[in-house]
Amino acid sequence: MPDAWVSVSLTSLALLAGLVLLAASVNMFGLSKRWDPSLKHCFVTGGSSGAGLALAKLLAQNGAHVSIVARDQAKLNKALEELEAARQNPQQVFRAYSFSVNTEAGSAAAIEAASEPFDGRCPDAFFLCAGASRPGFFVEQTEESLRTGMEQTYYAQAFTALAASKTMVQQGVKGKIVFCSSILGYFSMVGYSTYSPGKFAIRGLAETLQSEFMLYGIDVHVAFPGTIYSPGYSEENRVKPKVTLKIEETDEGATPEVVAKIILDGVRSGKFHITVDFIGNVFRSSTAGSTERNSYALDWVHGLIGYIALPIWRNSVDSTVLKHREEHEAYLRERGLRS
Amino acid sequence: MFGFSKRWDPHLKHCFATGGSSGAGLAFAKLLAQNGAYVFIVSRDQAKLNKALEELEAARQNSQQVFRAYSFSVNTEAGSAAAIKAASKPFDGRCPDAFSLCAGASRPGFFVEQTEESLRTGMEQTYYAQAFTALVSPMRHRKPWSSKASRLKGKIVFCSSTLGYFSMVGHSTYSPEKFAIRGLAETLQSEFMLYGIEVHVAFPGTIYSPGYEEENRVKPKVTLKIEETDEGATPEVVAKIILDGVRSGKFHITVDFIGNVFRSSTAGSTERNSYALDWVHGLIGYIALPIWRNSVDSTVLKHREEHEVYLRERGLLS
Repeated sequence: MPDAWVSVSLTSLALLAGLVLLAASVNMFGLSKRWDPSLKHCFVTGGSSGAGLALAKLLAQNGAHVSIVARDQAKLNKALEELEAARQNPQQVFRAYSFSVNTEAGSAAAIEAASEPFDGRCPDAFFLCAGASRPGFFVEQTEESLRTGMEQTYYAQAFTALAASKTMVQQGVKGKIVFCSSILGYFSMVGYSTYSPGKFAIRGLAETLQSEFMLYGIDVHVAFPGTIYSPGYSEENRVKPKVTLKIEETDEGATPEVVAKIILDGVRSGKFHITVDFIGNVFRSSTAGSTERNSYALDWVHGLIGYIALPIWRNSVDSTVLKHREEHEAYLRERGLRS
Repeated sequence: MFGFSKRWDPHLKHCFATGGSSGAGLAFAKLLAQNGAYVFIVSRDQAKLNKALEELEAARQNSQQVFRAYSFSVNTEAGSAAAIKAASKPFDGRCPDAFSLCAGASRPGFFVEQTEESLRTGMEQTYYAQAFTALVSPMRHRKPWSSKASRLKGKIVFCSSTLGYFSMVGHSTYSPEKFAIRGLAETLQSEFMLYGIEVHVAFPGTIYSPGYEEENRVKPKVTLKIEETDEGATPEVVAKIILDGVRSGKFHITVDFIGNVFRSSTAGSTERNSYALDWVHGLIGYIALPIWRNSVDSTVLKHREEHEVYLRERGLLS
């Protein structure tokens, strides 16, 4: 009799484990219904360069209609050519619009223009990649530069999200909004006072809307890439403080194409927070709180690694900053920032 | 871990408090006064400031202490600079030792009812009001770190919120700003090691203050429903816990068990106060927060029909 019980128990446990694995894999390996961009109308801000353009091209390769929005007409024209080169079928509609999206009015006008080829029906998915970074020491900032930082990181996406949601709700479109935060929306350090607050704010908005948009059947996603080897990155490094560059010297970045692919995969498999590499996964798992997770099992592993490794890394960051004090004193004196 | 390191003493320190005429800001200012500090409170409402000054006087410990109340709008660099200049005057221009930045307000609502203006107002009241004061609490005026005077550690205390650790329906004009405050605090905690200035950031939950009543008048019903089991705290209790945290050198300061769970579960690379305690709180969070979150999502989903009626009444559906 005991043998039978053992067999039954073991079999039940195995079945249970199997069911749990199956359930997990439904999430983990995307066996659940995946979102398909084919013939969906995708609206991409910041779509004329960097990760935004890479995402736009990837969507085009996957059969979507794509409307890209940015300010620079020349870049937009070139981007449109690259979209055409990715065309899969003659039905696809590709358009490029020059608008400034860091106001509600500008965003609304851009969305209205993009809806025209579709008899006024608004886009199905909004990829908000607009953003820029201009690092520097806090003591060298002004009200203006802090405000500009917020404009370039937060408002550049928040007002498009505002205009997009009002339109989607009004028309009953159960669409998607994809925000672009940054790994500097999970942590921060010296040099990022004009960038990190805005990227944290994007996470805050995404967290609010992920909850609130359950009222409308609109999905929310937010990406947290690290370094992306784009024109924006070269710009950023020209003004970045030396001590920040030093701390980042061992960072590995990724090309816009790699980042775009991972973001699109994440959107397709319904992930809320989308991270693009191991470090991103560690930060994501270690800062999740009550945020919806994709895999409780995987996050536990990443979180454990983070609990041990992140403080060690952080210590070395602090160390580098402290060693920089003398050089920084000289820097301040040169600029008359010391009395 | 048990606070045996040298504790910061407010006694005879020059403390500058924004949002200092009501709520937790005033309670904090009074507590500093009770601990022997010089206290300068700043807000916009002169009547509230006058009343607050009387309450500070009632907390006076010795005749040396200086209490002042100034009316300034701190959500611009110029306004913040003027306020600090005024506070530095009684001290021959030497700027305050500690900055408590409690300015902030919450006006919840559904995102689809917001406008560019209301989103910008939220950022002004809740983020810029603290960021610009921090900007002007100038290290520029402090002596170089190598000199003896700067061994006295300066302090900046930001006020975020548990809504800077998580968010949900109704808080799109408040939570981004509170997250942004955390982002700024995280940057400066690192960067101010260059100047010997310590950064703290508090994450209180519900505070039973005049501000809270204002907030609840406009809060969406579904948000009120989710929050109905929340326990809040009085401004005095919150102020005491924040001061204790500042005194014992904690970076993130949370005021209750829920706060501790959120803090431990979202820390990432943030400096922790106790790796042991945080492990326990984090483990509890790993199990309990998803369960809580599920019930929040459930409440939102159940609200869909009622919300549709609400939208139709306001002409937000075609």
